[in-house]
Parts: sequence; structure tokens; C-alpha cells
Amino acid sequence: MTEPSEEEILELIWTMEEESKKIEKDSLIKRMHLPAAEEKLNALADEDFITMEKNRVELTKKGRVNARLIIRRHRLAERLLNDVLEVKEDVMDSSACKFEHILDEEVTTSICTLLGHPVTCPHGKTIPSGECCEKANKEIRPVVMPLSELRPGDTAKVSYIVTKYHGRLDRLSSMGLLPGVQIRLHQRQPTYVIQMGETQIALDTAIARDIYVRLV
Amino acid sequence: MSVADIKTYKVALVGNPNVGKSVIFGLLTGKYVTVSNYPGTTVEVSKGICRGLDGGIEVVDTPGANSLIPLSEDESVARDMLLEEYRKHIVQVADAKNLRRGLLITTQLAEMGLPVVLVLNMWDELLDRGMNIDADALQGILSIPVVKTIATHRVGTGALFHAIPIAKVPNLHIDYGRLIEEGISGIQKIVQGKTTVNERALAVMLLSGDETLEEKLRHKLAEDSLAEIQRIRGSVQSHFSNPLSYVINIKRANFVDALVDRVTLTLRKEKETHPVIRGIFFYFLVPLVSFFMGYKLTALLMYLISSRLPSDSMLSLITSLAVGGISSLWLSLYLFLREYRAKGTIAETLGRITMHPVAAFPLLIIILWIVYKIVGEFGAGRCVDFFEEKIFGSSLTPSGGFDLYVYIPFIKKTYLFTHINFQGFNYYFGLFAQRVISKDNLIFELLLNEQSGLIRVGLTYAIAIVFPIVGFFFLAFGIMEDSGYLPRLAVMVDKIFKRIGLNGKAVLPMVLGLGCDTMATLTTRILNTKKERIIATLLLALAIPCSAQLGVISSVLGRVSGTYFAIYVFVICTQLLFVGYLSSKVLPGAPSDFLMEIPPFRMPKLSNIFIKTFYRVHWFLKEAVPLFMLGTLALFVATKLGALSFLERISAPIVRNFLGLPVETAQGFILGFLRRDYGAVSIFKTLEEKGGSAGIDPKQLLVSLVVITLFIPCLANFFVMIKEQGIKNAFFMFAFILPYSLLIGGILRFILQRF
Repeated sequence: MTEPSEEEILELIWTMEEESKKIEKDSLIKRMHLPAAEEKLNALADEDFITMEKNRVELTKKGRVNARLIIRRHRLAERLLNDVLEVKEDVMDSSACKFEHILDEEVTTSICTLLGHPVTCPHGKTIPSGECCEKANKEIRPVVMPLSELRPGDTAKVSYIVTKYHGRLDRLSSMGLLPGVQIRLHQRQPTYVIQMGETQIALDTAIARDIYVRLV
Repeated sequence: MSVADIKTYKVALVGNPNVGKSVIFGLLTGKYVTVSNYPGTTVEVSKGICRGLDGGIEVVDTPGANSLIPLSEDESVARDMLLEEYRKHIVQVADAKNLRRGLLITTQLAEMGLPVVLVLNMWDELLDRGMNIDADALQGILSIPVVKTIATHRVGTGALFHAIPIAKVPNLHIDYGRLIEEGISGIQKIVQGKTTVNERALAVMLLSGDETLEEKLRHKLAEDSLAEIQRIRGSVQSHFSNPLSYVINIKRANFVDALVDRVTLTLRKEKETHPVIRGIFFYFLVPLVSFFMGYKLTALLMYLISSRLPSDSMLSLITSLAVGGISSLWLSLYLFLREYRAKGTIAETLGRITMHPVAAFPLLIIILWIVYKIVGEFGAGRCVDFFEEKIFGSSLTPSGGFDLYVYIPFIKKTYLFTHINFQGFNYYFGLFAQRVISKDNLIFELLLNEQSGLIRVGLTYAIAIVFPIVGFFFLAFGIMEDSGYLPRLAVMVDKIFKRIGLNGKAVLPMVLGLGCDTMATLTTRILNTKKERIIATLLLALAIPCSAQLGVISSVLGRVSGTYFAIYVFVICTQLLFVGYLSSKVLPGAPSDFLMEIPPFRMPKLSNIFIKTFYRVHWFLKEAVPLFMLGTLALFVATKLGALSFLERISAPIVRNFLGLPVETAQGFILGFLRRDYGAVSIFKTLEEKGGSAGIDPKQLLVSLVVITLFIPCLANFFVMIKEQGIKNAFFMFAFILPYSLLIGGILRFILQRF
């Protein structure tokens, strides 16, 4: 299997791919902050994790599978630290980096289930889904779930908000509906009505699906 | 700072929606602006002079905004005013029990470097909830004056007066983190010295992606500066996958949360209504009201299908009583189990029932029925008759006077006081005029002609017919608004409104349209997108009958048959949904989110409702009466020039062949555009004459009333449509509505003939 430093490189390539499709070797090396970066890359290429053509670096199929798992562990760890353990942001970053190298498949699956198969990390980046996510059974109530899954009378804390619409995020945040806020669901029909502090807010299903909460 | 200098500032009221800015504006200036328990009532800036401060300082009221980065048209008004370049002291009004949301705005004001007085309004509601705010501590931390008020009771205004001159820039600084701070300082360098607005605030707004602000700065900055700003924003954004505005808001919220924790004290106690009142409510009022609801609903249903039922009235009475009993039992038991144990106040219970997925709908029908009884029957029926026939009367024949009496309902006795021998204003005007000129003189006709005289028809119409109806409607509307029922209605209709391209928020213009479409068209501004505003304007013009028209139509149709009234309601509702659905598909634009604050259910303050009704009626008279006069004048000129008969001639074939109505009704349709309800009345009279001894043909009546409802309501409404949507859109809507209403009338006639 791969060593931590190799995992870091695969992780970095994955992240850079998310930002921009093409990865140049020079910029990759610049961001690696490692001694003997060139050699490390060559070693990865020898093990068939990446391919290097001229200045262009790409993940191979094997490399992609590995990188995906590393990213998944890292971002799940972030979610766990942020939502459930509520550690501070800078501690979260450094701990998650250590977590990603020590978690095994089984523990990762348990964390993912505990968190309700989250789709994004606290920074809003996508968490690659695992087998457990596809199998996720609606019968079991996960710890973190969309607001639309709450039952009337439930009290919950907003964990994160995921939405395609910029305007929606602005509207919610200017109302003060942000991660960390405690809410109580009043009713689901005909529209969702929640209580936040002393404010009652009505919102429709589309918005309720975008707000992920953790029961308290 | 010299004395002359002090006077040069203005006071601006800023705050979240529905926190009482307008009430405080009233207290400062003595000027009234509409106050209501519905977020977003103020859509325009109001200005007034506060005489209590240094001999007169201008005060500006702004629409509520949750953020100074605008998301809708009304929110941008507040931001624009803050960016205007003159010295101002900000009075930020916050709902004391929602301090957190208020402080989110304070942080933005602090960034802008504006001197602020923080008003913690609704202090009583805060205490009621067992919470407390250490205002002195808050004042110390922010180093600005903090004033506690209960504005509706005028508590704390004295302190506010003293605080305004000593407003200070809040002492707070938010660190947005290295990445964003770098972006801020980059943008700050570009805008430096270009505006008088605080550069950091401007930089944060630009970083948040405020596009309207960029437009405003375009002419002030060098050519490539905007591109540079966008580049900086892009590079900061690349580090975050959430939008920057959201990241910035989170930082602000974290800062505010920490602040709120330091100054608030919560001994959360559940406030409870006195046990005796609770007892009366749960054991007596609820069973009684729910029995009435069930009974009345069944009776209404029976009325609608009356022509299909045997004339035996016992059957419907027994059914109504039975349904009443069942609903009484069910609702009382349900409420008792759910709410009686749950404690809390009765207002909270009522607030929940009015949004209840099942119970809320019958409740809505009953409320509409009560409103109809007051507005439609009492206002549009009795009051209009009295005003029109007795007070104004005809210019040629005396009205015969009226009796002053007291009617005692239960023993059905009438005590007559006296007969008042008053023959009507118009009759006396007529007598007076005939002393100077003859009845055939053109001036006499212009003023007192029975069909189109400015006084006899225009003024009489505006005052005698519209005034009582609109007055009663606004009274009922005010109660719905101030109790907090209207926003709950928005919750209930949201799903249906979504189908027609609107969302729950549009309930305000739609319900207001039942009073006056003209006024409702103006309030479409509270809607978020252009698409929604167009759809709402179109639907108001097409399918929402105003109270003047609804009053006449329901009394005319109601007299004929309940079944036909039901068909009328059905046709209009389906048109509303159908055209709304179509336009939501045709018009470009994404659906907008329904995210609305629901204010607490409150006992409405009668004085506020009366004042509000007074100002709305006043507005109505000021805006609409001149238009009615103009319409009547147009009618007069058209009659004299023969244009009216020309229009009648060309529309006659359509009316006769397509709608299957007597040719004479064409006049009614044309008049209908000038005076909506007059059209209905004149058609009714024509059909009655044509029907002769056989009586009126209900099918013809139904077709004509549907057509006239679907027409553009009135000239005044059309003018407002032009004002709000521009001349192009308004004419486009006109060009759609006119043939469409005729088409529906024709189809309806065709279907009715089959039965």
C-alpha cells in the first residue's frame, strides 16, 4: 500500500483536479512543499498511480481509486470533528490530516453512517460516496440529516447548508439561519415552519432539503 | 464642531423587517406611515421632519432589510440610502427578543463607519418571554447609545430623542481571516479616495459580490478597476467553495453570537394565559366556534347545490347540525389533547391552528365568509344603497328621505325615531343648477347628467359606492394583517401559489386585490423576482375581482341562484390557476424561494387598525377619485361625440353571436372598463328588461359577469400597471386579457348550452 507522504500527494492531485481540470507538473511540485518532490512523483508513476506526459500529470485508474478513498477519509474526518466533536477550525484541519492515514475501511463506513452519509465537507467540497452511502437505509435515522427529514417537535442544530443557489444561501444567512444555530421544527405541512430563537420562519421543501441538521 | 454643523445631519431608520421602524418613524416625526404585522409593508422611503431635535431634522424611514447586501428591490432601497453622501445618524431598530439578527446589521453599519443609536424595541415581548438583555453592558461593549423602547406604547421615546444627537460609530471589528482580509485590503486600495463611503465596508460589499453596487461605482472608478476587483474576488473565492458572501456572513454571525452570549440572560419561562381564560377558551369558545364552523360550512355547501336538492329544508338543517356537532367534538378534543396540556398562551395556540394542515382550511373559508358578510353584504349592500340612493340621490327626482330607527334583532322589533326629509345632495344640486341654467344646457349635463355627469355619476360613484366598500374591506384587511393571520395564510397557500409561478409571499397583493386591484398592483414590489411581479400583476388584472365588483356580482348572482354563484367562483379560480400556470411556464426565470418570517400572533391594536384604515382610505380617495372623475369625463365626451355608440356597434356582433347576449349589454362591457361594478349593474338591468316576465336568464348573466370580471378592472388599475411594469408590458397584458376574457365567455356559453 501507499505511505503517508504518497497519500498526501495523491490527495493534493485530487484537490487540484477539483479546482482546475488540467494539472501541470511545475505547479504541482510548487504546492507539494516536499523535499525531493520530483523523485516522489516518479516513484508514484512507477507504481502506476499517476501518469506523466511532458508537463501534464494525471491520475491512473488505480491512483484515482486510492485518492478517492483518502479524500473520503479526510473529509469525513473533518465532518466528524466539526459537527459532532465541535473542535475549532484550525485543530480540525490538522487532525483531519492525521486521521486520513489511520482510518480503515470499517471505521470509515461507521463514521459515514453516523454522520448520515454527508455529501460535503465543512468547507463545502464534495465527499466521494462509499458503498455504505448507496446502501443507506432511510429507516435508520442518521445523526445528521436534511431538515426535511425531521419530525414535528424535533429540536436540532444546523450542521451545514448545501445548495446550488447562491441567492438561497445569502437569504438564509442574512436571516441568521447558519451552521450552529438551534432550531425546532413546528410543522411540515402545508409548508415547513421552524422556530429559531424567537423567530418563526416558514420555508418550502426545496430549502428544507438543503439544510442539514443534527438532532439534539 | 459648530452649532450650525450639528444641524446638517439626517436621521435614517434601519432594521430587520417587522421590528417597528414605521412606528418609531411616526413617533419621531408625527407623520403616519402604514404600520402592520407583516414583514415588508414599507416598500418606499418615507421622509419627515423631527421637530423635537435641534429645531427640525429630516428623518428617513426605509424598508426592512436583513442584510445590507440587497436581495430584492425593497432591500436595495435601504442600502442605497446609506451610501448616499450626506451626514447621517442611524437609528437602528432591532426586535429586542431577536437581538442576534439585529446585531448582524449593526456589524455592517459599524463597518460603514456610520454613527448608530441601537433601539431595542418590543422590550415588553422580550420580558414576557423570560429573557433579559444587559443594555448597559451592550452599550459599553459597542460604545454606542442603546435605548429600550416599546414603541407602540410610546415607552422610551424620550430617551431616544436624547440619544440621537450623541450617536457614535459602533466600536467593533470583525476579523474575516487572512484570505478574506487580503482581498479586502486589495479592493480597498482600488476604491481609496473615490467615494466618501467607508472603504472597508465598500470592499466587503464588493467582495460579497454585490452586483448592483458595481453598477453604481462604474462611473466613479477607472476603466479597469472593476475588472481588477473581479479578479481579486475570483482569487479569494478559489480558496472557498461556498460563496464568499456566505463565508463572510458566517464570520459575522460567529462574532455576533459571542456578543449576544455576553449580554443576554435567559430564564426561559413559558408564559401562560390565566387559567380562567384558558378554561373559557378550551371548554366554551372552542366547542362553540367549531360547531358554528361545521354548521356554516355545511349550510354554505347546501346553498351551492341547492338547485339539485329537494326543497325540503329539514334535510339540510339536520345535516348542518350534525356536521356542526361532529366538528365541534373533533376540534375541541384535538385541541384539548394537543394544546391544553402543552401550556403556552392562547395566542400561540391560535397561531398554530391558523397554520394547521387540516383545521386551517375550514377556518379560512369561515373567515372569508365573515369578511364577505361585513364587506359584501353590509358594506356593499346596505351602506352603498343608503349612500347612493338616500344621501346622494338623483339630480332630478327627490329620494323621498329616510327613517332613523333602531332594530332589535332577537325580538324583531323596530323603534322608529324620526323621518329625515333629506332628498339627496344631487337633487339639491340639481335644483340649484336649474335656477341658473336649464336641464338641457351642456354644463348641466356635464355635471349632473344621469348617465355620465361628473357630480351625479363620477363623484357619487367614488364616494357612495366605492368608499363604504373599500373602507370596510380595509378594516377587515387591517385586522387580518395586524393579528398575524395574513403571513400564516401565506404558509397555507404556498404550495398552490408555487404552481402558478408565485410563492406564499404573494398572498398579500392577492388578498389586497380583493379590496382594490389598483393598490394591490403597487404592493407587488415586495415580491422577489421580476417574473413574479409580472405574473402577480397579470393575475390581479385578470382574475381578482375587487371588492366593488365582488359586492355587486355576488348580490346579483346570489339573488338568482347559489349554483350559478358556485360556477362563477369555479370558473374564475380555474382561470387564475390556468393562466398563472401557463405564464409560469412561458416567462423566463427560476422559481423563487419561499422563506418568510412569521410574526407572532397578536391581539390587534384597534387604534392602529382604525388609523391604518383611515390612511388607506385617504390614499384611495386621493389617488382614485381623480381617476374616476377622469373616467366619467371620458365617458361623457365619448357619449357626446358618438364614440360610445360606435364602439358598441363594432362590438355588437361579438357580443350577440359569440357570447349570445343581447346587443344592449355591449354598453355595459365598455362602461365596465371605466367603472367596474357599474358594468355589472348595467348588464343586470339590461338582461332583466330583456327577460321581461320570464325573468332573467341565469346563463346569460353568468357569461356576462365572467367576462366582465376577467376584463382589466378599471382605468386606474391600468395606469398603475403602466407605472409599475412599463408601457410595453402593460399593453401586452391588455392585448392578452381583452380577447382572452371574451374567449372564456364564449367557451362558457357553449358549455352551458349543452346542459
